[in-house]
Amino acid sequence: MSSAHVTPGSVPGPKLAAHFASLEVQKHAARLGMWLFLATEILLFAGLFACYAAYRFLFPEAWAASSRSLDLTMGTINTVVLITSSFTAAMAVHYAKEGKNAMVGHMNVLTLLMAVGFLVIKFFEYKHKFHIGTLPGRYYFYEGIQLPGAPLYFTVYFASTALHALHVVIGMTVLAFATVRAYRVGDFNANNYTQVELGSMYWHLVDLVWIFLFPMLYLV
Amino acid sequence: MAIANESRQEEHNMQEHHGAGRYVVIWIALLVLTLVTVFTGRMHLPDFGLLLALIIASVKGTLVALYFMHLSEHQGANRLVFGVSIIFVVLLIGFSLMDLGTRFRLANPPGSQYSDLQAVDIGANPTEGRTGGHQQLQKQNHETHE
Repeated sequence: MSSAHVTPGSVPGPKLAAHFASLEVQKHAARLGMWLFLATEILLFAGLFACYAAYRFLFPEAWAASSRSLDLTMGTINTVVLITSSFTAAMAVHYAKEGKNAMVGHMNVLTLLMAVGFLVIKFFEYKHKFHIGTLPGRYYFYEGIQLPGAPLYFTVYFASTALHALHVVIGMTVLAFATVRAYRVGDFNANNYTQVELGSMYWHLVDLVWIFLFPMLYLV
Repeated sequence: MAIANESRQEEHNMQEHHGAGRYVVIWIALLVLTLVTVFTGRMHLPDFGLLLALIIASVKGTLVALYFMHLSEHQGANRLVFGVSIIFVVLLIGFSLMDLGTRFRLANPPGSQYSDLQAVDIGANPTEGRTGGHQQLQKQNHETHE
């Protein structure tokens, strides 16, 4: 454990706002604010999880049949891609604390590439569903599964994965800003890494949601 | 000037900086757990398949929150916020399912159009009612004709 207790000024860091006692308190406040925001995000997805649970309870056969119609290989690849991108996002914070700005940039670029890969795989999954007709509600025209509740499964599927994909895009935007700053300005150090840390926290939330969506939609 | 958010706790909450090895270990653990959940998921275990998948997902989620999101080092308010949000998720899903699971068909009169799982006709307009309002109206008309 290195003592990162640096007095403001000796190492260039962020500006200390007047209402905070110290840089540590300021950092702590930023992190707590991020956790509060992430808590609201968790509750946003919880609504969809509750829909999933209720309709799965009402239509167990349709749920089992529909989840088996998904492409498990693509889902598994996407899970591995997202978990690995979460790892590189964590490594970016690690390098930011050491002041290795080039590595922060490289790690974020890797994360962004995997995010693009995730979206591309998701696009092909969606395309296949539009082709065979496993679509929400009255747009459903797949003849392979004719059970009450199957269109409802795909309503939940599209709502939750589309909301998750939107979060992937938002997370990519946040990480892109930190990447540009790491390459152009390069002022992340032990005193100043909040931007990388909070962006990475958002990315981990995207990963966290997928960790639950994947078994719910593809496996059980 | 006394500042409200100044506390000794901050020093304690300072960054512990450790090697990258820890992240690699967590990453590998997450990949292994993914393989385990795919493998057990494909077996389509009849009763505890869902439970097992949820347990594995919760373990993975805990690893991400504790080590990638650094909750293992950041105690106090950060943990409280995360914990409370999880409690509310459990309340929302748990109580919705308890409600659905303990419902029973109400003792409706034979031939009733109403069901406890259907939206009831709120009777805004008997001619456009969704679940039998129009039939009631027809019946009334029929009775008045007699």
